[in-house]
Amino acid sequence: MAVSGRFVLLVALGVVPIVLLDDPVWLLGWLAVVALVGAGDLILAGSPRSLVLHRDLPERVRLGESVPSTLYLANAGRRRVHGIVRDGWQPSAGASPGRARLDLPPGERRAIVTTLTPFRRGERRAAQVTVRSFGPLGLLARQATLELAGAIRVLPPFNSRKHLPSRLAQLRELDGKTSVMIRGQGTEFDSLREYVRGDDVRSIDWRATARRTDPSTGAGPQLVVRTWRPERDRRVVIVIDSGRTSAARIANEPRIDTAFESSLLLGALATRAGDRVDLVVYDRRVRGRVQGATGAELLSRMVNVMAPIDPQLIEMDWSAVPGLVASITSHRALVVIMTSIEAAGASQGLLAVLPQLTRKHMVVVSSVVDPTIAEATRERSNRDEVYRAAAAERSALDSSRIAAAIRQLGADVVTATPAELPPALADRYIALKAAGRL
Amino acid sequence: MTATPSTATSTTPTIRRATRRSLFWILAATFLVLVAIIGIALTGSALSRGTEFSATNPGPIGSMAVAEVLRQQGVDVRVAGSFGSAKSALVARPGSTLFLYDSGDFLDDTRLTEIAGLARDVVVLTPGFAQLRAVAPQVAQAGTVKRKVLRSDCALAAVAKAESVTGAGRGYRVTGTGTVATRCLGSGSRVFSLIRLERGAHTITVLGTTDALRNEHVAERGNAALVLNLLGANPRLVWYLPTIDDSAAADAPSIAELTPVWVSSVMALLVIVAIAAAFWRGRRMGPLVIENLPVTVRASETMEGRARLYQRGGARLRALDSLRVGTIARVAAQCGLPRLATVDDVIAAASAVTGSDPRQLRSLLLDDTPRTDRELVRLSDRLLELERSVARSIRPA
Repeated sequence: MAVSGRFVLLVALGVVPIVLLDDPVWLLGWLAVVALVGAGDLILAGSPRSLVLHRDLPERVRLGESVPSTLYLANAGRRRVHGIVRDGWQPSAGASPGRARLDLPPGERRAIVTTLTPFRRGERRAAQVTVRSFGPLGLLARQATLELAGAIRVLPPFNSRKHLPSRLAQLRELDGKTSVMIRGQGTEFDSLREYVRGDDVRSIDWRATARRTDPSTGAGPQLVVRTWRPERDRRVVIVIDSGRTSAARIANEPRIDTAFESSLLLGALATRAGDRVDLVVYDRRVRGRVQGATGAELLSRMVNVMAPIDPQLIEMDWSAVPGLVASITSHRALVVIMTSIEAAGASQGLLAVLPQLTRKHMVVVSSVVDPTIAEATRERSNRDEVYRAAAAERSALDSSRIAAAIRQLGADVVTATPAELPPALADRYIALKAAGRL
Repeated sequence: MTATPSTATSTTPTIRRATRRSLFWILAATFLVLVAIIGIALTGSALSRGTEFSATNPGPIGSMAVAEVLRQQGVDVRVAGSFGSAKSALVARPGSTLFLYDSGDFLDDTRLTEIAGLARDVVVLTPGFAQLRAVAPQVAQAGTVKRKVLRSDCALAAVAKAESVTGAGRGYRVTGTGTVATRCLGSGSRVFSLIRLERGAHTITVLGTTDALRNEHVAERGNAALVLNLLGANPRLVWYLPTIDDSAAADAPSIAELTPVWVSSVMALLVIVAIAAAFWRGRRMGPLVIENLPVTVRASETMEGRARLYQRGGARLRALDSLRVGTIARVAAQCGLPRLATVDDVIAAASAVTGSDPRQLRSLLLDDTPRTDRELVRLSDRLLELERSVARSIRPA
């Protein structure tokens, strides 16, 4: 049961008869009148329990976008249901409006549209629908909470897709589709085409040129050059650390979200370049795995796997990573490890297993650096800030030492701020590919 | 719509289910209330000890024993509940004794004089200042009497018969030199617990021994003899304990009489409106939907913590060394030195570029030890200045 503002007003109106008739008995009399009217109103209210509910909901939404969620209410009762409906979504589903008016005659059906704008990645759920049904006078209401589960998967935003076109253009340049040619360096022979000005003269295929020259017409010899393309069908294995250090926020974004952004961009790029991309999210258990997908399916599977993963508050188990990589591919691959390198103690595990990986694979360790550290080293106007700058220098020194140790073990390191890490990693991939080191 | 058209399950309990679920608590609460009511009804009389020196109070502090014995001795004891009834009793039966105990000074001077004048003998128990001024102006208060026993020390019949009485109560003193008064039950320093003034045929007795009248102590020593003789001197006794209704202020109209009848009803209605409004605003639209939120850990917290640790521990040299390492690395990079260059190489390169004294640079980058925070800040500023001057020299823009 619920009370409306009208009911309170009705009770308060009892002042009029009490003052005018100046008799304390009227207090009880008025209360009796109110109780009678209220009871009648409550009895005439339609029952919210007689509603048939159904929710129509898209399966997934990208973080930062809005989708409509439609709730259908059908009245199977005998009385009109007139009142307020609340669709019970979790707060971070960003449901708006939170309350909706409903006027539903018996035997009819109405749709209530709630716009969801989730502000957190993962599985967002709705648990119930609460209906408050007022009587014809709008004094008292019957209220019931009806179970109706619903869920929507909020995918990572992939904001770094804006970097994709420029990197794809770079890839095409590698592919030999433009006039700029890269010769040698272990690239594969692709095709022959006519010489255009600017091509490397060393790539002219004289034998093919001779064959092309048409003696009958007597036209000048058409120079033919060989084109090369980068290797295809290489393996890229992305290992994302979902341990406790990935929960830390840098520039109000958890490390793991930056890792997701970087791996999405890298995955999109690598699959266009013809490489096979596998993803595994790991701390002590495999939290998510994408294998054997290519093209558009790869990205959709990646975001789907990533969506519900949150960092676990446990230490990453590095000793299992070489075995994990071996289980994915037995060939040489580019292994991209997305983790954090900041303290020597925390990186011991990574440093211990890197030799096993670098023996067989090309390894790139990618880590987010905190832009506030770089800012803090420059601000030294008072005593507190000088100490802060000293601590910042110390942590910068720590991470640069670990980066040096990783390089000594034969792996590559990419560090950048959260906004810059995805394109930086993509550029490193293109550079490795151009150098034929995959 | 693919789902079968069946009504949804409700998690809100129906009235019947809610009642059944909370039936135990309702019954328990009812039981407790009943027990409390019965308990209060049974012990309520014992809890209140009743009025002091009341002729109808059988409790320890009452005086029903005295009144009953006097009745058995043939004294007509009339208990007056108000000023009017006391006055009419005295007027109707002249020659009565008046026992007056006004604990709250309810009677004003005029009423006291009026009622005292109507009786033949007046016994005033522990009168205060205002009562003494009206009834016996020659008598003054003299504090508390703490003696356990008071011996009879005067010719007054009642006192003489009692021989000794319980002393606890108030003491009084006679003021003025020429006053004729019988002073009895002295406790030293001219303090007496019983003083009798004669006014023609009337007597006024100021009595201070309170314990002697109580049911609790009346049978001890000669208390009974004193009290019975004092109050039973005349065949008629009016026992009057004034109440708040007898005060002069009681005649003034109360707030309830001044306000209209509807005010209290309207106030009750407003309370009900407030309760209804609380239900109106307080009833929520269904339960909360639970959500697990991730922990928020800022990555820079370790840096901030380390900075505070340096500061609290006064680790100036350590802090400065961190800054120096950063500066040396940046200067080396600016000067184009290899990664493995020593500090001496860096100092040489920096002094060559900026033209500053290599010894000064060496003390700045290696040797100086900051003793105070002020020195630390100064050295840190000089490091920044060095970086800037190297940058300026290498890239003059």
